[in-house]
Amino acid sequence: MSNGQKTPECNMHEALVSYLYNEATADERVSVEGHLTRCAACKEELNSFERVRGMLQQWQLDDLPVVRVVAERASIDRSLLTVLKELLSVTPIWAKALGAVAMSVLVLAVLGTDVRVGKDGVSFHADLFRRGQAASPVAGSNVELPTANIEQVRAEVKGLVNQLIAESERQQRDDLKAQLVSLESQLNNMHSADLSKLATRIQEQQARLRTIERDIDRREGLDLTDILFSEVSRPGERSTTGGSD
Amino acid sequence: MELSDIQIIERTLGGETDAFNLLVRRWERQIYGLTLRMLGRDEEAKDATQETFLSAYRNLSKFRGEAKFSSWIYRIALNICNTRLRSRAKFTLSLDEQREMSGFELAADTDDLGSGIQQEQITRHVRRALQGLPPEMRQVIIMKEYEGLKFSEIAEVLGIPISTVKTRMYTGLSELRKRLSHLREAV
Repeated sequence: MSNGQKTPECNMHEALVSYLYNEATADERVSVEGHLTRCAACKEELNSFERVRGMLQQWQLDDLPVVRVVAERASIDRSLLTVLKELLSVTPIWAKALGAVAMSVLVLAVLGTDVRVGKDGVSFHADLFRRGQAASPVAGSNVELPTANIEQVRAEVKGLVNQLIAESERQQRDDLKAQLVSLESQLNNMHSADLSKLATRIQEQQARLRTIERDIDRREGLDLTDILFSEVSRPGERSTTGGSD
Repeated sequence: MELSDIQIIERTLGGETDAFNLLVRRWERQIYGLTLRMLGRDEEAKDATQETFLSAYRNLSKFRGEAKFSSWIYRIALNICNTRLRSRAKFTLSLDEQREMSGFELAADTDDLGSGIQQEQITRHVRRALQGLPPEMRQVIIMKEYEGLKFSEIAEVLGIPISTVKTRMYTGLSELRKRLSHLREAV
């Protein structure tokens, strides 16, 4: 075995590192292990690297950052549905009500309801209520529905319209809420860079403050040392003086 | 069955907004570990982690799947760290940091080196010693020691030969051995 001095044979850094991390090939392993039996310097180096690795492992993570990326997506590529939701969220309530009425008229049309305005007021004629009668009424044979039925239809239509308006309002509230959350996330992301700069500046200033504090402490320490030394030296001076007296 | 990184990327690109969160949750610890040990400052590391994932998301369509996603995102994180390290002006560093960055020996805090040395103190010394290494050595050691990457994977992330990775590893460990020698008796 060598006497702790490195030789040209020790020039096997790559193989040594591979061996240290169990990534050596079979040939490298044989070569390194053979060399380590002859070279005390390399053996000590390997041991010291293992100690360093042990120290490095002492530094472990304490906490994790909160990473938010998805909120960013909303601002990058908005789907058609998102655009539609945004459009609905800015639509005034009267427009929504109008839409609801239009939708109810459409529903009535699908049901085959005939609405007429005449001398007797508004009359509704629905195929739905005439099941069992001829599918196509004879021209001019306008069968009036009983008042109770008209009221019932009115109430149903009114209920339907109210329900649609309520649904529309609820949708508007939900969309507004979602939009606010999205907006908040976007704002946070937009300002993250600024906040980062601010945090860095604060850290820098804190570091400078610490440096200044250390300098002050050091100076105060020196001053204190001077005082202490002067205090210690005075009695000696006195005794010398006393002795001479 | 757990989705692979590639499957998650495909879903994200296909319009599943939340899918990218899976990738974030899967890799945030590793990326934060890398940025923290590269930058040495907690808050800056958190910002760099956020920046890394945002950058990955914005450039997700450019990821072609030729390399592993982990290699790709590690590379993004290292680029961000290196940019931040370069932009650090000398005058903003504390005296200790300046001394470490310029390669001076780390002064041993003799009060720490009693028999009862605490893990926190060792961590502080390790942190400082790592910060004193040149970034190209530091990143190799961090990826090997803390991220557990193989030498071939580190070479892929950095785009350098494996032999260069091993040489940097050897030099970095030799430097750390010197810088941490005062802890040898204490540990």
